Amino acid sequence: MKVISNLKLLLKITQEYGNAHFTLSFSAIFSLLFLLYSYNFNTQAVRPIVLVFFVVYLLTTLYVWLISKSIKRDLANHGNIHIRTRILGYPLILTVLVGNIFASSFGFSLVTKNKTPEYTFATYAFLTQLFIIGVSGFNLFKPYVIDSFLLVMGAFVLLAIIFAVMIILVSKYVTQASAPKWMLPIGLILLLPVLTGNLFSLLLGYGLIKKARQKDASSIEKWQKMWSKILRNSMAVFGMFFIIFMFSLSVISPWTFDYDFATQNNYSAILQTPTLEYPLGTDDFGRDLFSRIVFGAQISLIVGFFSTIIPAIIGGTLGAITGYYGKKTDNIIMRLLDILYAIPGILLAIAIIAAFGANTVNLIIALSVGSIPTYARTMRATVMQISNYEFVESARALGASDSTIIFKHIVPNSLAPMIVKATLTIGGAVISTSSLSFLGLGVEPHIPEWGNILKIGSTYLETHSYLAIFPGLCIMLLVLSFNFFGDGLRDAFDPKTN
Amino acid sequence: MTQSINIYKPKISSIFSSSYLKVTNRGKFYKILLFILGLPVHIVTVLTFYFGKGQNQYGNAYKSCEEQLVSKGLLGSWRKQFLEQENTKATFFHETLTAEQLNKKADLLVQEKLQKEIERQVAAQGLEKYTYQSYFKQLLNSRNFLLISVIPGVLMYVLLLLYSNPFVQFIFERVLQTLFVILGVATLVFTILYISPLDPARNILGIEATSEQIENFNRLYGLDQPYLAQLWQSLSGLFTFDLGTSFAGKEDIMASIANKFPVTLQIAILSLVMAVIIAIPVGILSAIRPNSFLDYTFMIVALIGLSIPSFWQGLIFILTFSLELSWFPATYNPQNWLSLVLPVVVLGTTLCASIARMTRSSMLEVINEDYIITAKAKGLNERKVISKHAIRNAMIPIITVIGLLFGGMLGGASVTEKVFNISGIGSYIVDKQFIPDIPAILGGVVYIAITISIVNLVIDITYAFFDPRIRSKMKKEG
Repeated sequence: MKVISNLKLLLKITQEYGNAHFTLSFSAIFSLLFLLYSYNFNTQAVRPIVLVFFVVYLLTTLYVWLISKSIKRDLANHGNIHIRTRILGYPLILTVLVGNIFASSFGFSLVTKNKTPEYTFATYAFLTQLFIIGVSGFNLFKPYVIDSFLLVMGAFVLLAIIFAVMIILVSKYVTQASAPKWMLPIGLILLLPVLTGNLFSLLLGYGLIKKARQKDASSIEKWQKMWSKILRNSMAVFGMFFIIFMFSLSVISPWTFDYDFATQNNYSAILQTPTLEYPLGTDDFGRDLFSRIVFGAQISLIVGFFSTIIPAIIGGTLGAITGYYGKKTDNIIMRLLDILYAIPGILLAIAIIAAFGANTVNLIIALSVGSIPTYARTMRATVMQISNYEFVESARALGASDSTIIFKHIVPNSLAPMIVKATLTIGGAVISTSSLSFLGLGVEPHIPEWGNILKIGSTYLETHSYLAIFPGLCIMLLVLSFNFFGDGLRDAFDPKTN
Repeated sequence: MTQSINIYKPKISSIFSSSYLKVTNRGKFYKILLFILGLPVHIVTVLTFYFGKGQNQYGNAYKSCEEQLVSKGLLGSWRKQFLEQENTKATFFHETLTAEQLNKKADLLVQEKLQKEIERQVAAQGLEKYTYQSYFKQLLNSRNFLLISVIPGVLMYVLLLLYSNPFVQFIFERVLQTLFVILGVATLVFTILYISPLDPARNILGIEATSEQIENFNRLYGLDQPYLAQLWQSLSGLFTFDLGTSFAGKEDIMASIANKFPVTLQIAILSLVMAVIIAIPVGILSAIRPNSFLDYTFMIVALIGLSIPSFWQGLIFILTFSLELSWFPATYNPQNWLSLVLPVVVLGTTLCASIARMTRSSMLEVINEDYIITAKAKGLNERKVISKHAIRNAMIPIITVIGLLFGGMLGGASVTEKVFNISGIGSYIVDKQFIPDIPAILGGVVYIAITISIVNLVIDITYAFFDPRIRSKMKKEG
């Protein structure tokens, strides 16, 4: 092992030091935001709860600053982080109680030296579960809750405890290359919580099974390498966290949220400002904005997912065929796709919706058609490159048919750019969905979709601006998360950026 | 020998003959095209070709060579070799072949080899295969032939001229491609609107309209005609700038589009200018100091800019800058330039973010190139290396991306226009889609697509002009 003596280089490659700075800036930004929000400029009054949040965030920021100083000192003196500094991370974990995901995840990463991808998955599975419990918990302030609420919440608390135990077990027993044999059944059990949409649990379970079985060392190493590259990028991890959190929330919302609050008119509570009962206020029909946004996530994710996966499959197949056969096939298909490419996506979507009417299915089709050429181009470029490799040649020499070569040998090897492209374009699809709904061309107006909510909000911009601010923030955060995650994937997959 | 002379002294005749060779080598389609374009000339030359076939040097040489080879008795030994080869192949793949099959295969291979061998020997004697093509090529070399045939074969000669220079050929092909795309776009959009299950007549005349009224309406707008007739009418309408009147309101569609298009274009171009002015310096700064605090801040801001839905950004801007601070008016008004500021900023945000990210990655790629290291090694200071060597090379992909994004922006303008109540082409299309007013939507979408295609065409051609790499690649392929 080479001893790195240069302090600057050491600081650069020490993940904790980078994370400390990252946490520092985000906690600082949030405390500033809380400070600004704590004073109501219109009524000249102080909001005490927000002020408390500000103080907590400010203290966290100072604390993280201290930690970063002590990490730097440790590295300068010993070349590694001292155990005393690591212990400082434990109090940081508690900041999850005020919703400071940045600080608490930094705390988790600081307290252990043994950072496997499984450890990170376990911590994020735990954090996701806590956030789900927290968000669903707001329903307690409603006049009544849905029947399954208590049962499901109990199950969630249990799950959170399981994840907390897993964090400890994983940090103790799982190494970079292996896990003890008794982890295998645990891994299998951990596949189950995916039914609540907690994909971190799925990843954790899968990783544990892989490592406990000890079947294929090279595939374990590949798994380890890929994830450690992705997880190194803090923004990508938070993007992934928010996506999975939103996904999980939209999966479990039918069990913990009452759909009636989101759709039934309640004329006794029209245009209420945010209170505990209505955390984000109510709209002009007295519908709870908070529930509407939670249910809106479902539609946005569904439309975003399908209008990405459909063109990815169609465009990918076309691209693979054109890239493999080249010449005439290539010329004909690509020239035809050029026609689609020449029309801006949103205009084509408007034209299709104009012709077939505005509803969710047509919206998905309209958005899909427009993005076929981009996927075809991405796939074609990769396939053209890959079909020149030796393994393709050897498959051909062994007498494999063209379709086998394309779909068994070439396509699996050219999926990485497609996955990156898809992640980066889901965000665009989410924006397009809400934009079209905002214009009245997307999801049917009675469904609580973010664009529809914003449409109502835009009419009350002057008097009740929160109706327009919150759904927009959600769209932005979701799209931002997809973009950060996509960027992280791209950096991890692209050999050029290494 | 003759070739080298041709290069140094390009005569008109040799231009045609070499370009003829190039074009015919491109495949069957081009051969047929040339034949059709120069039909009057070809009719005469085909006749002279068949009458003059008697004095065929090539055929004679071919025959004598074949006889020579056969008499040498080479065929037998080749056959033996091939039989053995096929046998080992069959055993390796565990195939069972009958003797007859083996013999057949070996015979085929022998014939193939014989033909190749003869062709090689004949070619070594300096004889070309005597085909109509080579005959015609020879004719093109003579000045007299050209003088006689220039008028009847003018179309063919124009094509040959276009293909004589790789640059002209590139422009010609690119223009053709654009025309094809434009035609395709018009057909596609029309077809989508044609197969629509919605009934504009019902929507305009109301539910109580009698079937007679509806029939009358359909006849008036030609909606009762067959697909091809309607398509032809729409296409000719699009390209003669006469789309008739809209279904609702009976306004002249061309006049309204001509009124609204400049508004959209003005906003789009202003946003583009704003985006370029902000994004390129930001991208360059980020790339010069990668992974610095400045870089991270810029790139996170850019990513936020990419993730903001433009209609929401518009609403927030109206809320803060119009309602709370009252710096800018909330709705667009052509007389007041201040009302342009918000829509331009909103429309330009996404573009700005994309260009900044693109500039950064393109610059990073260029900075690691060998010629930058060379420039640094020879002692240039950093400022000069960046401004003289890096930026100029990094700009090439950026400009292409700007061209593509400009298209997306024109499309996305419809949302921004709706938020700020601008009567541009985008909001016009959105307003018309509820009926659906087929000619209006068709016109709006297709004219935007045409604008985008032309912008991209111009960018591509300019590139071919300025980028030496593209030029040399064209010459090689040409």
